[in-house]
Amino acid sequence: MKHALMVALLIVVSVPAYPEGKRVELNGVWILFGAEIGKLQLTPEGEMKRAAYDFQKDDPDFQCRPASITRIMHTPSPPIEVRQHSDYVEINYEFMDVHRRVPLKNGLAPKDAPYAVRNYPHLGRSAGHYDGETLIVQTAGQRAGVLDTLGVPGLYQSDQMRTVERFIPNGDRMQIVVTHEDPVYFVQPLTVTFNYLRLPGGKIEKWDCKPEEATYERFIPKKN
Amino acid sequence: MYRKFADAVMIVGWVLFSCLAGLAHHSVAANFDQTKTVDIVGRVKEVEIRNPHSQITLEVSKPGGGGVTEFYVEWSDKNALMRRSVPVSKIHVGDMVTVSVSPSKRLPNLGYFRTATLPDGTILKDCGFAAFRGGIAKGKTGCEESAR
Repeated sequence: MKHALMVALLIVVSVPAYPEGKRVELNGVWILFGAEIGKLQLTPEGEMKRAAYDFQKDDPDFQCRPASITRIMHTPSPPIEVRQHSDYVEINYEFMDVHRRVPLKNGLAPKDAPYAVRNYPHLGRSAGHYDGETLIVQTAGQRAGVLDTLGVPGLYQSDQMRTVERFIPNGDRMQIVVTHEDPVYFVQPLTVTFNYLRLPGGKIEKWDCKPEEATYERFIPKKN
Repeated sequence: MYRKFADAVMIVGWVLFSCLAGLAHHSVAANFDQTKTVDIVGRVKEVEIRNPHSQITLEVSKPGGGGVTEFYVEWSDKNALMRRSVPVSKIHVGDMVTVSVSPSKRLPNLGYFRTATLPDGTILKDCGFAAFRGGIAKGKTGCEESAR
């Protein structure tokens, strides 16, 4: 009897508090299956910024700097990884080697959360919680700059932008619905839906981007 | 005379940069004409399998035999090529190859990789991300059969 109780106690201790239920399906490595961009309605300032966008000067990708999480997710081939833990979730993006750590705590405001990506503070502060089986990540404190260069090239964000990401599990499919609210550049919230497919046996590899190898100037013939 | 030459160099440089400016973002569909295939015959000068984009530099004979010019073949990122098990190590510097490309919509010396015919006649193929994703969606471990 005493032995059985010990075994039962060991089992209870070794089972993590999270994840449980359907949300456990979010764990894994995912590749992009497609993305849908909702209605885009920019303020006059947003239109002006977009019209003035010059990719050679303004696209952070050419400096190997991730513009935003939305821009990262618009890149088709590099996968992303979700790992849920008892008090935080790690989201690893192969593109630009972005490793994001989001605390899971009900009631934590994003402004009070630490920077989600230590080496890229411009990506803001994020806090997560669950709504049923959906993981919700709220982000604030993103720095003003380019929001997207691929899905919607030349889309800008202000430092007032707030973002909500909903990670919805569905077996070997996952949907991430991203809503950006920005009173400076958007008349109404912009929603981008990313559909992901589980990559069995997938692994996040090192990206190791070097600016001199990313620039378009590499297409200019060398003079040797 | 020198002034005219300098002006001409500046104009050529300006035209080249204007063409580059047209490449407003990374999308393959936006930058390359995927409805066309052009065969480029040349000697492999460089093979750079890397992120965010791989690149093969070919030395191509100028028409009429007046030396060589460089042609750049843009390709997927290194990690994607590895996932798709593309045997990139079969392309060697110095080899004469024929690379089929989707031509750039803007630059005459640039194309996007489709296949490469190696000196021994082997055809190196890459199914591309869409076919890889399609294969995964169907429960396979790699590209679906319809790979180009």
